[in-house]
Amino acid sequence: MRQSMIQVARCFFTFCLLASFALGDAAWVSSQELTPLTQSSVDDSSDLIDLGRTLFFDGRLSGDATTSCATCHDPSKAFTDGLPLSKGYPGTEYFRNTPTLINAAKQSHFYWDGRMSGDDLPSLVRDHIAEAHFMQADGRLVIERLRQIPYYETTFKKVSGGEPSYGKILNALAAFVRSLKSTNVPLDQYLNGQKDALSKSAIRGLTLFSGKANCIQCHHGELLTDGEFHRLGVPSNAAVFNDPMRHITFRRFMRTIGVGECATLRHDIGLRCVTKQESDDGKFRTPSLREVANTAPYMHDGTLETLEEVIAFYNQGGGTAVDLTTPLKPLGLNKAEQSDLVEFLKHLSGDSVEISAPELPTYELRPLGQF
Amino acid sequence: MNYARWDSSEQGLLAMVSQTSHGEHQHDCLGFRSFVAQLSELMASVSRQSIHYVKPKRPNHMRAASHYRFGKWSDNLHKSLSCGLVGCLLIAAGCGNREVVDENADSRPVEHQSGDASVFHSDTQPGLPKQPATLDETETNPVTADLVSLAGEYLPLAVLPKLPVPDDNPITDVKVKLGKMLFFDDRLSGDVGTSCFSCHDPRVGWGDGNALSRGYAGTQHWRNSQTLVNTAYLAKLFWAGESTSLESQADSAITGNLAGNGDKVMIEERLAQIPEYVELFHEAFGGTRPLYDHVTKAIATFERAALNSDDSPLDRYLAGDDSALTEEAVRGKALFEGKAGCIQCHNGALLTDEKMHNLAVPENPLFTKDPLRQVSLRYQHFIRGVPEEKYRTADRDLGLYYTTKRESDLGKFRTPPLRYISYTAPYMHNGVFETLEDVIEFYDTGGGEDENKSDLLKPLNLTEDEKWDLLEFLESMSGTEVRMVPPELPDYEVIQTTAATH
Repeated sequence: MRQSMIQVARCFFTFCLLASFALGDAAWVSSQELTPLTQSSVDDSSDLIDLGRTLFFDGRLSGDATTSCATCHDPSKAFTDGLPLSKGYPGTEYFRNTPTLINAAKQSHFYWDGRMSGDDLPSLVRDHIAEAHFMQADGRLVIERLRQIPYYETTFKKVSGGEPSYGKILNALAAFVRSLKSTNVPLDQYLNGQKDALSKSAIRGLTLFSGKANCIQCHHGELLTDGEFHRLGVPSNAAVFNDPMRHITFRRFMRTIGVGECATLRHDIGLRCVTKQESDDGKFRTPSLREVANTAPYMHDGTLETLEEVIAFYNQGGGTAVDLTTPLKPLGLNKAEQSDLVEFLKHLSGDSVEISAPELPTYELRPLGQF
Repeated sequence: MNYARWDSSEQGLLAMVSQTSHGEHQHDCLGFRSFVAQLSELMASVSRQSIHYVKPKRPNHMRAASHYRFGKWSDNLHKSLSCGLVGCLLIAAGCGNREVVDENADSRPVEHQSGDASVFHSDTQPGLPKQPATLDETETNPVTADLVSLAGEYLPLAVLPKLPVPDDNPITDVKVKLGKMLFFDDRLSGDVGTSCFSCHDPRVGWGDGNALSRGYAGTQHWRNSQTLVNTAYLAKLFWAGESTSLESQADSAITGNLAGNGDKVMIEERLAQIPEYVELFHEAFGGTRPLYDHVTKAIATFERAALNSDDSPLDRYLAGDDSALTEEAVRGKALFEGKAGCIQCHNGALLTDEKMHNLAVPENPLFTKDPLRQVSLRYQHFIRGVPEEKYRTADRDLGLYYTTKRESDLGKFRTPPLRYISYTAPYMHNGVFETLEDVIEFYDTGGGEDENKSDLLKPLNLTEDEKWDLLEFLESMSGTEVRMVPPELPDYEVIQTTAATH
């Protein structure tokens, strides 16, 4: 199934390439494939989003009340933690890179291995609150904590029509995540006809992106992703196996998702941990490129520090993984072309999403016996 | 109060433990190792300085009652609670202060000096109608307040029986060694900040010395942490008998969200990353990797084999050494088995009938003072599945009711064993009594107020001399303190393997 989809994608790519050659107008071709960011179909109330924002910063949603969503998705770092590999719950160290949350709600899959559907953002939130390597919290304990905080009791009642419940907590957080969107993105302005929104170098980069460099093959549509999974042969981050805490977290995750040989694995098997198909070994979800200039380091395990390194990686034809299903080939880009591509990638970010941490409401005593 | 005295280095140690447990978490193994090394060093120095159990001083018969330690339990309550709030260290300090005050005592009233306790030497009393040893606590005992012995009606006080060991978890040396290490190892908890030791500390009677246990970081537990000494003999663990074996108790404590908040698979993988553990698990249980089931078995084995106390004066007395108990304690024993009626519930070798009783113990005001205790109380109500109306009106620990959902079981708790009791203050399921004197005072008034209160509780009309005798007897139930220095714990190491590389 996936193979055939990739075949389709490959054919489509070839078609685009041919079209670009035939018409000699790369900009026209790219505008067929890259589309401006659309509005979300969900219309959340600003009150719900506000509630979700407070929850987002509240460590009391984690087991030991130390870890909030913002611990790893820091607004000042474009909702990432800026680290190659994410921290995780105290006592654990995660084994993959923290992706940005900006525009994340539009993705077709969540997590680098796509183990959750993009249709269900609240479940993604739940997974984070409950997972031993993220927030390790019991849902009911979280609810009882929030019920001890007058702000939450009154705000949930006002916004969601009742006292805090797990579903209402997840929905409020999902609404906040949905609200994190790129705005005033040069690429979108360019695609909407404002031709001076991209610099000349960036326009040359766009031409390469859609043509010679083949990026558009996987990075297309409004999120600049095909929502598919590919093996690029990205070098493994040695820390996952040489740092005991990360190796523990890695093995524990692989075990809980049902991977038998978790103890002897020495690379991240990616999509295969979900599908259990050998052919999916080492495949990861194509990430959106929106806000990419603000979300270093790159790749599923953060091994590439800069966009220049990423371009160089593709220019050499990717990594050395066996049986590449993605036809990565050396691109033969010269220095100038590479820097044009980087310049283009820097035009995919909008205004910075300014979210400041709210002052967290405090626990208060309640009259005993009146809950 | 705690009878154990603390010197400054021990206080420093406890402060360090407390700070580390509640505050910054150990994110790296080096930090963890240095913490453990520090801890071991301090513990060793503490044990060298031999902390002595300090008995409360019975007033001299030539002195008056103005210094008398017994008083209405409700008057003493505020002291115990204020101490409970700031933890066991301050409780210990408070204890010291009270003893200093005792020194200014005058002579006691004459009527309290009489040896009327000898009346209760019960063996000469005519026998009462026999009741089964398994007397249901709901049946009214007609003789509670009578001046007769109840000793014949209940399981007799006895030395500890043969240690019960489950067939599927025999005791071996390596299992005890492994269990001891695991007991002290924070890595069994979710955020590696809490070990069994955090709430079961040898220095405070293998409880945590607080009225209500501290619980996992970010929470405050809703019950008193109990001693582990001699728990191998019990068939019901936790305050309302929620657990039936040391193995299952360990499981509940490790994974409970208010206790260890541990993840079983994470624990197995953490242990698999520590070669010394892998070896010990292999030696103890066979197999190639540490299993969670074996974690609880090893900890239970350690507790079963290493945390027993059978050398109390009472044990020696019961074994035939008449000189093991003082004259006062012998009188106290007669009261225990007679006028005071303690033996109705505190009988047998463990001094517990392991039945559930409602004593109407006063509520711990912490539930009206600490938001996180309210969180834990409601949480407990909800996850145990009580009806919504009870959840909405949660105002106290429902005890056995959580398990049975029977109204008649509201507020019932399992009779705690009395062995080792000198070391395990504060007392009751909510730690509301700071001292044994408070406990005796509570029973003397016939317990508290509750519509479900046990019929076994009646005002005892004990004289102050009798209370002292009873206290003396209660103190004879504790032997040598079981002290222990935490073992050095091995670190995580990188796992080298040549297998399955891509």
